[in-house]
Amino acid sequence: MMANVRPMLRPPRFEAGVLGWAHANLFNSWHNSVLSVVVGAVLLLALWFGLRWAILTADWSVIATVGGRFVIGSYNSDQACAGNNCFWRPQVSLLMVTMLLGMGWGMAGGGVTKRIAIIVGVVIALFAFLPYSFERMGMDVRLLLLANVPAIGAGWALARYTRFGTVKWIVIFSVAAFLLTIILLRGIAGIPGLQPVAVQHWGGLTLNLILAVAGITLSLPIGIALALGRRSHLPVVKTLCVVFIEVFRGVPLITLLFMSQHLVPLALPQTFPRDSLLSAAVVITMFSAAYMAENIRGGLQALHPGQEEAARALGLSGWQTTLRISLPQVIRSVIPAIVGQFIGLFKDTSLVYIIGMVDITEIGRTFILGNPEFRISTKEVFIFIALAFWVFTYGMSYVSRKIEGHLGVGQR
Amino acid sequence: MTNGENAAGPEDIIVCRDVHKWYGSFHALKGVSTTVKRGQVVVIIGPSGSGKSTFIRTLNRLEHHQRGDIVVDGIELTDDVRNIDAIRRDVGMVFQSFNLFPHLTVMGNITLAPMKVKKLPAREAEEIAVQLLERVGIQDQADKYPAQLSGGQQQRAAIARALAMQPNIMLFDEPTSALDPEMIKEVLEVMRELAASFMTILAVSHELGFAREVADRIVMFDEGEIVEDLPPNDFFDNPRHERVKRFLSQIL
Ligand SMILES: Nc1ncnc2c1ncn2[C@@H]1O[C@H](COP(=O)(O)OP(=O)(O)OP(=O)(O)O)[C@@H](O)[C@H]1O
Ligand SMILES: [Mg+2]
Repeated sequence: MMANVRPMLRPPRFEAGVLGWAHANLFNSWHNSVLSVVVGAVLLLALWFGLRWAILTADWSVIATVGGRFVIGSYNSDQACAGNNCFWRPQVSLLMVTMLLGMGWGMAGGGVTKRIAIIVGVVIALFAFLPYSFERMGMDVRLLLLANVPAIGAGWALARYTRFGTVKWIVIFSVAAFLLTIILLRGIAGIPGLQPVAVQHWGGLTLNLILAVAGITLSLPIGIALALGRRSHLPVVKTLCVVFIEVFRGVPLITLLFMSQHLVPLALPQTFPRDSLLSAAVVITMFSAAYMAENIRGGLQALHPGQEEAARALGLSGWQTTLRISLPQVIRSVIPAIVGQFIGLFKDTSLVYIIGMVDITEIGRTFILGNPEFRISTKEVFIFIALAFWVFTYGMSYVSRKIEGHLGVGQR
Repeated sequence: MTNGENAAGPEDIIVCRDVHKWYGSFHALKGVSTTVKRGQVVVIIGPSGSGKSTFIRTLNRLEHHQRGDIVVDGIELTDDVRNIDAIRRDVGMVFQSFNLFPHLTVMGNITLAPMKVKKLPAREAEEIAVQLLERVGIQDQADKYPAQLSGGQQQRAAIARALAMQPNIMLFDEPTSALDPEMIKEVLEVMRELAASFMTILAVSHELGFAREVADRIVMFDEGEIVEDLPPNDFFDNPRHERVKRFLSQIL
């Protein structure tokens, strides 16, 4: 009887818009309302004092004073590069990186790669206009910084209009660029303009990034190999992998770094020069690989056994099953854990200070210690360093979310 | 009676002699002997835990038996890896839970094994796949991912995937028991067509209507043994064993 007198229904009043959202999520019950008000008040207060300090009280000039040292350490100082200009060497490395970013953009044609390339290009170009005297930051330095913008364009065009715009070539170029960077920064004895620069001098964020890139790219494949080895039917392989994983997981990274200086050289030919950078990279990679292996193994265990059975029933070999069926699914499902670990690895690169290397944190610390007149600026220095780390880690988690979305993780 | 110790003839595509299988100390198959002729359709029924899955999984060596002999299409199942590979190329399998590869499209699922195992060129594998998709009635789903298909469509894609290796024998392990009634119909339709095409089929299934219609033999397992093996009419109308009667009265 009532069915045909149904009145026109309006949507409930607070359904849509900001108010609707707030009503539905923040003020939907009295205890939630109280909580929202209290938390809101605390946040506002924190924001108020934070901003007031950052804008009115803080003296950010200290950042300008330390300047480029945060980025590359004392690379261009007289002790590092006696009587010569070495500044162009890290600059050329940077150009290679931006060119690769441009290639990524050109290959993908837009999306995340485009956004990242543009942001990086703009930020670097802005550095060229820093209000330093020309004495502190010469025209040559500024021009090389600006050159990153055309470098991105060149990379983009290269990927767009030549046959190098494929994943394979970009990977090849990336590896080449990484090795070239190391060679450039380290220098080669006997070649004019490329005189060796001791590792203690190439610190700063560059050091953090080099260690992180090496660690990240190597720890994933090593971790996968360890995880597979741990499931191997061959007792020797299995035991080796278990021992490796448990040893590297069971010892603090700091301890490993101390040991590395003495142990890694033992594994190398006598003639090989002692190299703390290499030792640190090896240890960080192994440490991360051990954790990576367990992440991957967890993913392998969570994989429905029917997947491998179906693959084997079709006649695929064990390796084919692993490479084409198991790993692609496992890696997708453990991307969040993998990225979390990469972020941890990047932050842990700061620990190399204990073997005498000067990462960005260490530069901040020694600068404050060495210049008592700046002690009052400790906050600014470390907030800046924290921000520098955060920008990169946030970038990593941003990219990983994009990749997850792209692969449709969690909606199979 | 088709089982027994008579020597394998040329028409015998599967020969099992006194097959035993233990899981740890649990005796899952207790001396199974049977012979399947080329083109025969055998439906296997039996109570839960009676060893039906275990038995058909020994036929493509997803499980290995510890005693007795199994000869499939002239190849003796042993630990020899080459034999195992050959068997799996020759025997297709369809699972209760479909087990499609979720990261590959339907097309990718079907072409993977022909390309990687038989080394067919992509084009040829795709041609085969298109034909098979048509045969199972989902030609317009080729580019979708398994999660985007209904259960019935997934199972039909899984059947196409198994057929893509052009096997001589198809094993089905309760292919419809995860499906809704309408979807059961569409999958049985495909199996019916397959049976009519002289494929050798061993299917664990409790779809008795289907069994009565297409099976040449119905084999009943109980507690790891074959307790009955008769043509459908005899099986349903005058079963010889008390256990069969009891089981039929439970599921009918
Ligand atoms: N991997 C295994 N490990 C130990 N026991 C197993 C394993 N697989 C099966 N079994 C046991 O072997 C027996 C036979 O199992 P099987 O799966 O073959 O039964 P089924 O007849 O297929 O039953 P259902 O109708 O429930 O599928 C069961 O008692 C089961 O518990
Ligand atoms: Mg079963």
